[in-house]
Amino acid sequence: MIWLIARREFRTRALSKASLVTSSVMIVLIVVGALIAKPFLESDGDAETIQVASGPTAALAPYLQAVAAAQGTDVEVIEVVDPATDALDEGVAAVLTGAVTQPELFVDSADDAVVGLVQAAVQAAALDAQVEALGGDPAQVSQALAGSTAAVIVLGDADGFDSGEFFAGFVVILVLFFVLVQSASVIMMGVVEEKSSRVVEILLATVRPSTLLGGKVLGVGLYALMQAASLMLPLVFAAVYLDLLGSIGISVGALLLNFSVWFVLGFALFTVLFGGLAALVSRQEDLGSVTTPMMLLMMVPLYLAIYLVPNSPDGPVTAGLTQVPFFAPFLVPMRLAFDAISPLEVASAIVLCLIAIPLFVWLAGRIYAGAVLNTGGRMRIADALRRR
Amino acid sequence: MPALVIDHLVKTYGDVRALDDISFTVEAGELFGFVGANGAGKTTAMRIALGVLRADSGTVTWDGSPIDLARRSRIGYMPEERGLYPRMKVGEQLVYLARLHGMGRADAERAMAHWTEVLGVADRRDDAVEKLSLGNQQRVQLASALVHGPEILVLDEPFSGLDPVAVGVMSEVLRGEAARGVPVIFSSHQLELVEQLCDRVGIVRSGRLVASGGIDELTALERPRWTLEADLPAAWTPGVPGVTAARVSERMWSVEAADAAAAPAVLASAVQSGRVTSFVPNRPTLTELFRDVVAEPEGEAA
Repeated sequence: MIWLIARREFRTRALSKASLVTSSVMIVLIVVGALIAKPFLESDGDAETIQVASGPTAALAPYLQAVAAAQGTDVEVIEVVDPATDALDEGVAAVLTGAVTQPELFVDSADDAVVGLVQAAVQAAALDAQVEALGGDPAQVSQALAGSTAAVIVLGDADGFDSGEFFAGFVVILVLFFVLVQSASVIMMGVVEEKSSRVVEILLATVRPSTLLGGKVLGVGLYALMQAASLMLPLVFAAVYLDLLGSIGISVGALLLNFSVWFVLGFALFTVLFGGLAALVSRQEDLGSVTTPMMLLMMVPLYLAIYLVPNSPDGPVTAGLTQVPFFAPFLVPMRLAFDAISPLEVASAIVLCLIAIPLFVWLAGRIYAGAVLNTGGRMRIADALRRR
Repeated sequence: MPALVIDHLVKTYGDVRALDDISFTVEAGELFGFVGANGAGKTTAMRIALGVLRADSGTVTWDGSPIDLARRSRIGYMPEERGLYPRMKVGEQLVYLARLHGMGRADAERAMAHWTEVLGVADRRDDAVEKLSLGNQQRVQLASALVHGPEILVLDEPFSGLDPVAVGVMSEVLRGEAARGVPVIFSSHQLELVEQLCDRVGIVRSGRLVASGGIDELTALERPRWTLEADLPAAWTPGVPGVTAARVSERMWSVEAADAAAAPAVLASAVQSGRVTSFVPNRPTLTELFRDVVAEPEGEAA
């Protein structure tokens, strides 16, 4: 029975024209965007060409290459007899002419990265020349320079703010938040639609209120999961295709697993409650009086996860709130991203959520059953619980 | 024979007593008309019979056992406020509802085809319900109550908003269901229709059942009355013991007797005295009865 209801919910949502169009547009946008972006991103990685005039200037070429290597940029240095200096040739970033210590650099704009590179190369060449003039060995000097570094001992918070970890956690909970908000509003609209069209009365004649609510949550949940997947997969494809993940430095698998576990738990907790509360009103126009407070309430764990966790990833307050089911779906993924949570804490948070879900279902079912046949204005929660 | 027994139902909403000790019985195969002013408690009583609402006290039983979830799925229900998914297709919706009541897919499809045919909405199966006219939506609504082959029918205002043809179709369907052995309870404000269709009626007022029984029983008078239309001398008297006659107008007489058996003697006397054009028993219609019962002041109705 619950599957019949879930199936209907899933089909009406998933097969609606709006949903199909939105999903396919998003998929196409992401994939096409990745395909289009690829050449641009790659051209960024292309070696920049610096033309060096033959003659004395050519002595700078090895220095240019050494500096470029040290900075991690790709530079191609080409020796050219009498290069064009009034306008740069196609594909040429800079032209260097003149004496080694005082060359002339021709570029398109003064703030090109290549200016700093040439500057450093010229200085290195000058230093070598000076060292040699004083009778020293330039190789020894640069070795000595490279060898002398200070050992850094951090006295402040050992877990410095890591933007990569923060970003990974942030993406997970933000996606979670938006998926939850979207699904919750779909469920609430569904509940009110049934209520305002009065179809709920013939449904309740044969189905228990909790079954009806459960089927709804299940169907919409599967739909939301499918929709999230239809966005995540092209996104992952884009990320892999464009080789973006290397720069963030986290594994996709862990991120997705993290997301899916807390998606399911968070989904069950929040949407069930939202569905129950939606039954308090009878018309779509009145839905705002229930949704707005709930949305604001949901932002509390979101903001805690964004602001509290980076500042105190394993402080007592954070650890305490992690065990509260209402906060856990947001706090745990964030703390996992910061690697500041023990497996035991994760396990107990999951167990507590699993215990809380039936309680939430029961509470929401009571509210739903009490309020769903009430017509007219918005009902108070206490009245709904007393009904029936 | 199984019967649907509504026994001493009480339901209060805050200070309002929506149902005040209502009891009645509907036998299998019987059409029971439920009439009463707006807000009298008909819908509440039907919702409780269905298990959608819970009574404060009292019970509803079918064939001797209380109505639980399994049994409830064998009831066909048409709520007063029509309820269907507006954007779902007619056929799909009926199949879905039939399956919610526990039917298999193939059976549900067959039942849907049958009832859309009978109720004349077969060519609208692939249209969304909201695209149908109100009358057709009503037919689909009735189909949704019948599609799972219910053992009991509870219909709240099934006739409101229907054209005469649809009323005819729907009456036929209800008669057919009753003939199949299904107890049918329905409420209506169309009292002539109730009178024609029902075996028995219940009249509710402010949450109480103020009258219930067969139509004949309810409309029978303590002293039978007839209206006589005849050319008679002004001084005419029937000359039958216990019978009085009063001249209402030039050709109209009102005759009252202690016993209905006096009728042939009265008629014979009139025929001897003059030319009789009609002699009709005077029974109040259900409408009159209803007006009397409902208009009575609170204290006397109890």
